[in-house]
Amino acid sequence: MNSSEKIAIVPCSGIGKPYGTVSRVAAYQVTEDERPEQTRLVPLALLVMGDEEYGRIVAESPAITIDGCSQACATKMVLQSGGTVIRECSVLGTARSHRDLKPQGIAELNEDGEKLADALAQEIVDVIDACVQPSKGGSHA
Amino acid sequence: MSDFLEVTIDKFTFRVDQSCHYSSEGIWARMEDGRVRLGLSDFLQQRSGDIAFIDVKPAETLLKLDDEFASIETVKVNVMLASPVSGKIVLVNPALDLKPELINQAPFGEGWVCEVEADNLDADRQRMLDADTYFKKMKSEAEEEVRQK
Repeated sequence: MNSSEKIAIVPCSGIGKPYGTVSRVAAYQVTEDERPEQTRLVPLALLVMGDEEYGRIVAESPAITIDGCSQACATKMVLQSGGTVIRECSVLGTARSHRDLKPQGIAELNEDGEKLADALAQEIVDVIDACVQPSKGGSHA
Repeated sequence: MSDFLEVTIDKFTFRVDQSCHYSSEGIWARMEDGRVRLGLSDFLQQRSGDIAFIDVKPAETLLKLDDEFASIETVKVNVMLASPVSGKIVLVNPALDLKPELINQAPFGEGWVCEVEADNLDADRQRMLDADTYFKKMKSEAEEEVRQK
């Protein structure tokens, strides 16, 4: 991909379980704080509703999906919308690498949940940085 | 090839392998070549949720009836798994180390947990439920959970 193309970040939209919240907190971190210039947050619910604008964004942009459970709704919906998933991230996968962290809370995560979101966000940032090539002669921050 | 009993309750479909016996908590036991293979029933794995971790007692562990042979940590709960047979663990499914989700994906197949050399298989089998009986019990529990929603 080139440096002007934004990556769609599509998190789980599940409610009622901490893992869904972890996926969204990680997505906000990436799109608002860590890599706002290279990414765009896509609400899964709008894809499900058939929203034209977000359907077009997903169809035209590479996507990183963040699934909160094995149903993998985010990944399935992006593929169904004609998008290209360059990385399927899962909260469960990240949690398995951080067994000491026990996320709790739904509206507000506990400290372990926040740490797990940080770890997931870092995984996503690593994927973005590996994908985004600096333009010729330019520098990449 | 196994045959299955199947029921759909609400949006969930549960299968019961007819080649197995079951504990009332939903541990299945399949007798194979003098060994007993143990795993989680489809109902138990679906009710527990996506499995993040499983700890299985190592080979050579001696089990009494209802001793813990493994524990799972899911996105929802931690569950201790009690053995429906007494004997010695002789084999632990190595695939679960890297892919505990096999239990969710194939609870009666690749997601088996361990194999036990049973001390008193005939008596243990008599205590367990056959597939038809477990199917009725599981169906009743699942329907009750839906009613309580």
